[in-house]
Amino acid sequence: MAENPFVPKLYKVLDFYRDAEDMFTLTINMKKEHQPGQFVQISLPGVGEAPISIGSDSKEHIKLSIKEVGNVTRALSRLRKNDKILIRGPYGKGYPMESLKGNSIIIVGGGCGVAPLRSVIDYIENHRAEYRDVQLFFGYRAPNEILFKKEMEDWKKKYSMKITVDKNPKGKFCYDAAEGHITDIIRQAELNNKNKVVFLCGPPKMMQSVIDVLKQRGFHDDQIFLSAERMMYCALGVCCHCMIREKFTCTDGPVFRYDEIKDLKND
Amino acid sequence: MRVLKLEKKRLNGFLGKLADSYEIIAPVKKDLVKFEKVTNFDEIYLEKNSYFPVKEYFFRKQEVLFKFSGTKITVPNPGNPKRVFFGIRRCDLNAINHQDMVFMGQINDPYYMSMRQNSFLIGYHCNEAPSPFCFCGSMELAEYFDLMFYDKKDYFLVEVGSEKGKFLVNKFKGFFTELPILISSEEKKIPGADRLENKDISKLYDHPDWKKGVDICLSCAACTTLCPTCYCFEVHDEVKAKNPAEGQRKRDWSSCQLPSFTKVAGDHVFRETREDRFKHRIYHQLEYFRQKNGVDLCVGCGRCIEGCPTRIDFVSIINNMK
Repeated sequence: MAENPFVPKLYKVLDFYRDAEDMFTLTINMKKEHQPGQFVQISLPGVGEAPISIGSDSKEHIKLSIKEVGNVTRALSRLRKNDKILIRGPYGKGYPMESLKGNSIIIVGGGCGVAPLRSVIDYIENHRAEYRDVQLFFGYRAPNEILFKKEMEDWKKKYSMKITVDKNPKGKFCYDAAEGHITDIIRQAELNNKNKVVFLCGPPKMMQSVIDVLKQRGFHDDQIFLSAERMMYCALGVCCHCMIREKFTCTDGPVFRYDEIKDLKND
Repeated sequence: MRVLKLEKKRLNGFLGKLADSYEIIAPVKKDLVKFEKVTNFDEIYLEKNSYFPVKEYFFRKQEVLFKFSGTKITVPNPGNPKRVFFGIRRCDLNAINHQDMVFMGQINDPYYMSMRQNSFLIGYHCNEAPSPFCFCGSMELAEYFDLMFYDKKDYFLVEVGSEKGKFLVNKFKGFFTELPILISSEEKKIPGADRLENKDISKLYDHPDWKKGVDICLSCAACTTLCPTCYCFEVHDEVKAKNPAEGQRKRDWSSCQLPSFTKVAGDHVFRETREDRFKHRIYHQLEYFRQKNGVDLCVGCGRCIEGCPTRIDFVSIINNMK
């Protein structure tokens, strides 16, 4: 009898860490193989299920960085070490790391969109020799939303890293971040498109403005990869809630090459 | 395919024999025509197609995926009900074929499979289009049945379409006479059912007439509820009021015509306008499904038009697009 695709498996929370005012990271003892950019369906019985991107690259565990926005994510924020949790997955197509070997990688994340990209940063860390330069661009609305403060200390030593915060009115912000939008620092960075790919994740409007800037810099559609977010129940390509025209975010995505979905507007 | 003859006066006898081992599910006319368990076979109503499709017997309106107590999960066993479905039209047989592609092809859905496993599908060929909204003749329908009954006034020609069908006629062979004939493709055509003039809508996505057509849409979701092929669903947890640690995870039918269908946490709705939602339904039926499964999802039964409270007729909308 084939495995029931709707029934989750039981895992344990190894660690809870609050990253920002409304974001937290769970480390879970799930040891299934996965690609950066893939996601799992995490659920608490009685509350419901939510798709969350994997934010790590390890054979020992997965890390899920979660923003408290709905019923499920708020309930998940009450989990602590040794609590039990139900998970299905991993699901979806991630970033095609294998076929992009030899490229420089530009990682652009907006707000909680930085969380899934952390799986790519970890992956590069584990396969450093296979990729060339790595540039990180992160944009946040406010200082209290900044994620991975500890990890950034390490990243900024190894890679070129730039951060913006929309507003920093008191000027007391202690991180090395510019005030403004993420598109500003990308414009200033004077990027060229030679042997480079861009991984992008964030709010739809932010992704569109970043793509506009990249196109001005000569990037082609097939050099840009982005991670989409949609309503989703099954993660198996059958409930249809996550469809973007004919594409299923859960099975054709969530990571799409921009030329695959660029004509599909915002539906 | 093998063809047999069954005298009409022996139909009830045949169904009676089947009823010894199987539940007989057939269209019955109450206020509306609906597939129901039948014990008095004179109640079977074959003049018009059923208002509701037969899909709810396989892809059920509600399905308990599992029960939980804390984090302990128990998957219910819905059993493998032994049922003979009699009187399914060609459109609805194809709809079952398309749902089989989803729930037994794209995924192995154990709940759907358990409902399908011991069910027999006996079709009833339409000698003419049973409703003015029919357009199955515009769609490419396949031969998908266990047995197909062709109504020839005093008798039925019975075409055998599968191993399951062969099993039934062999088991009850006393009722049938073998005939050395074949049903011609002419005989399988249904007159008056080719209203949709052009089903290639790939270049019509930005046509302004979509909006005109759905200005009177109430977003009530009758179209998707009555559709024999629509298979969207949502999943929710239910808990007991006295003990929130106990409950069940359930799957329910859902509708792409409701704004909440694409609503993500943070309340953003991706398909906000009725036009976008209407187009999504029609394109899923006539284009997107074909890209994945090689066949249109829509089977041309016309229920979404007949059941629409404002009678939005997507077939006329497409026909009138120039």
